Amino acid sequence: MNLPRDKVDAVIVGSGAAGSAMAARLAEGGKSVVLLEAGPARSPADLVSSGIWARRLKWGGDPVLEDGDQPVGYVFNAGFGTGGSAMHHYAVWPRFHREDFDVSSRHGRGLDWPIGYDELAPWYDEVQEEAGVSGDAEQEIWRPPGAPYPLPPVPVFPQGEILARGFSARGLHTAPLPLAILSKRYRGRAACLWDGWCDAGCPIGALANPMTVHLPRAAAASAVLETDATVTRVLTNANGDRAVGVEFARAGGARERVMADVVVLAAFAVQNPRLLLASSSDRHPNGLANSSGLVGRYVMSHGAGLIYGLFDEDTQCHMGAFGGQLVNQDGYPKDMHAEDGAFGSYQWMIGQAVRPNDLLGIGTTRADLFGNDLHAFMRRAARGFASMTAVVEDLPVADNAVRLSDRKDPSGVPLATVTHTVDPASHALWQSVLAEGTAIFEAAGADSVWTGPRGAMHIMGGTIMGDDAGSSVTNSYGQCHDVPNLVIAGPGLFPTSAGVNPTFTVHALTARAADYLLKHWSALQP
Amino acid sequence: MASLTRRRFFRQGGLGLLTFCVGGCEVQMTPGEARRQSATMRILAPKEVATLEALADTLLPGSRELGIAHYIDHQLAEPADRQLLMIKYLNVDPPFAAFYREGLAALERAAASGGEGSFDELPEDLKHELVARMSRENPPGWGDGPPAPFFYFILRNDALDVTYGTMDGFAALGIPYMAHIEPPSRWGE
Repeated sequence: MNLPRDKVDAVIVGSGAAGSAMAARLAEGGKSVVLLEAGPARSPADLVSSGIWARRLKWGGDPVLEDGDQPVGYVFNAGFGTGGSAMHHYAVWPRFHREDFDVSSRHGRGLDWPIGYDELAPWYDEVQEEAGVSGDAEQEIWRPPGAPYPLPPVPVFPQGEILARGFSARGLHTAPLPLAILSKRYRGRAACLWDGWCDAGCPIGALANPMTVHLPRAAAASAVLETDATVTRVLTNANGDRAVGVEFARAGGARERVMADVVVLAAFAVQNPRLLLASSSDRHPNGLANSSGLVGRYVMSHGAGLIYGLFDEDTQCHMGAFGGQLVNQDGYPKDMHAEDGAFGSYQWMIGQAVRPNDLLGIGTTRADLFGNDLHAFMRRAARGFASMTAVVEDLPVADNAVRLSDRKDPSGVPLATVTHTVDPASHALWQSVLAEGTAIFEAAGADSVWTGPRGAMHIMGGTIMGDDAGSSVTNSYGQCHDVPNLVIAGPGLFPTSAGVNPTFTVHALTARAADYLLKHWSALQP
Repeated sequence: MASLTRRRFFRQGGLGLLTFCVGGCEVQMTPGEARRQSATMRILAPKEVATLEALADTLLPGSRELGIAHYIDHQLAEPADRQLLMIKYLNVDPPFAAFYREGLAALERAAASGGEGSFDELPEDLKHELVARMSRENPPGWGDGPPAPFFYFILRNDALDVTYGTMDGFAALGIPYMAHIEPPSRWGE
């Protein structure tokens, strides 16, 4: 694909959930759009059903250095190539709750968002229609107000039924897990076969990833996607108060530029702040859009509460979606485990489809076993294994941050170092959650129950939104306070992490921002 | 039947078997076939291969014959962004060959410190004992290699990949593979 020689209306960095959605909406709004993706071009034919081959969808670009007591797991959580990390996401799409938007005001902890749930609700409604979300809104007794799902709930297989028994015995409620996976044919897309290959990319189009939903729309509206194009710098005018384009490196190292009226950074929660910090100049010696000193700060990653068990029954644990079959959000009140020193919300994703191998596979859950004992366990677990995962809120901590390393990539851009150490109240919540999960498995009749280490799930923050330039990087539309035609999109905007998966909220925020930008485009011009 | 047809519509058959060098010619085959035909290693030295196979077969018996050393060697020879080893998830800087080499060398030092000789020549019970210790802590003599429990974790997962992460591995466990697009190599045949 040849890039336009002239200045375009918008250049977007990153082709994942936020970048592809922004590209589709701006292009359909009549804007000329170029989308730059660091990784290689991929098509549905590249989405091989294999836990091994699917690793190519994970980050494969410049190394990201990690420290702190709970690294964010960048390579596992990030993506590389057409569609970015959303190509391997599990499509668990719950909404944030009202109390997620004003945590500081309610509890004196964390931060507040500059918007509330009611401002975002119409965008959740719109996005779920275009993406196709399956669920049962009435059964989700915790769900904030909103339109019912456009598709019926996903099926429940024996693993889900068995674990629901445990929740019921403990007086807890379960509902179908809301998934951006089609429970029946929808808008020309095929329904899911419930074979558990979600994270390998879903080549049949049942899962709402960028390759299925937004990139085709963007292309139809003449947006140009350029792959193997790693952005190295945001370019500004002489005053440093306007973005004028980006510089990028081709795979062979050649540098090129795309000039644009609006620059959108949608390169996920680590590369966005890295780019801003690396785009320093005389006007912005501490990094672009960083007058607050907050670029890179408040990086968050959900704690994964992993519960495993073996049952006498055949759980058919390979069936369903990788994200699970059922949800429980009874643990959403943020002070529910205050007696344990814990704070925050969590949800259970119940009955994940699992494979024998890979980081989340059956074999990895019992890392203590080897030799013939491991073979015996694998044979036993193939029939009776069950699992569920808690998404545990991670409080924002200013010192959890993306910073520039002394090491540089081949283009001379400093690598990102990500520090993430868990707040004690978030860690206490994770511990309380493990105890609850263990009790639920026991109540369900498990022969044996064990837990996993605190995994890092999702990456958020680093370019937080807020009401003023002194305490945030962007406004609620993602416009940088210091450089209004430089827009951030994606989970990096989140001031708090909530206790649910972020992608639905990324889409709702992006839809709202794109709508605002289109309506105020002239105000973005010099 | 409709769903079966849809499931297979991207089927790639036997395309893209891993490429190994046999007798000076590049041949596509599974890692198990590569081992049986003594395909040339590109990264690992013969002694490293012997140690790796002995360790892997202790971690998960049968992985030696399934070609784990050829699988790892092949992946280590690939560019970092195309490698499929699980180590890429785990905050180890590429290239990963140094990690494997240092871990294997550390294992040999630990084996030698016990006075019984090379790891691959140890009796099975001593191999098992040393690997059990690796899973918990650095054994005596381990030295400057990567932390032994981490090296154990990585190699154990490589063995799981080769043994159970394939279509044949699923079949061995009685788990339907249900591919939309079959992986290009039936490792372990």
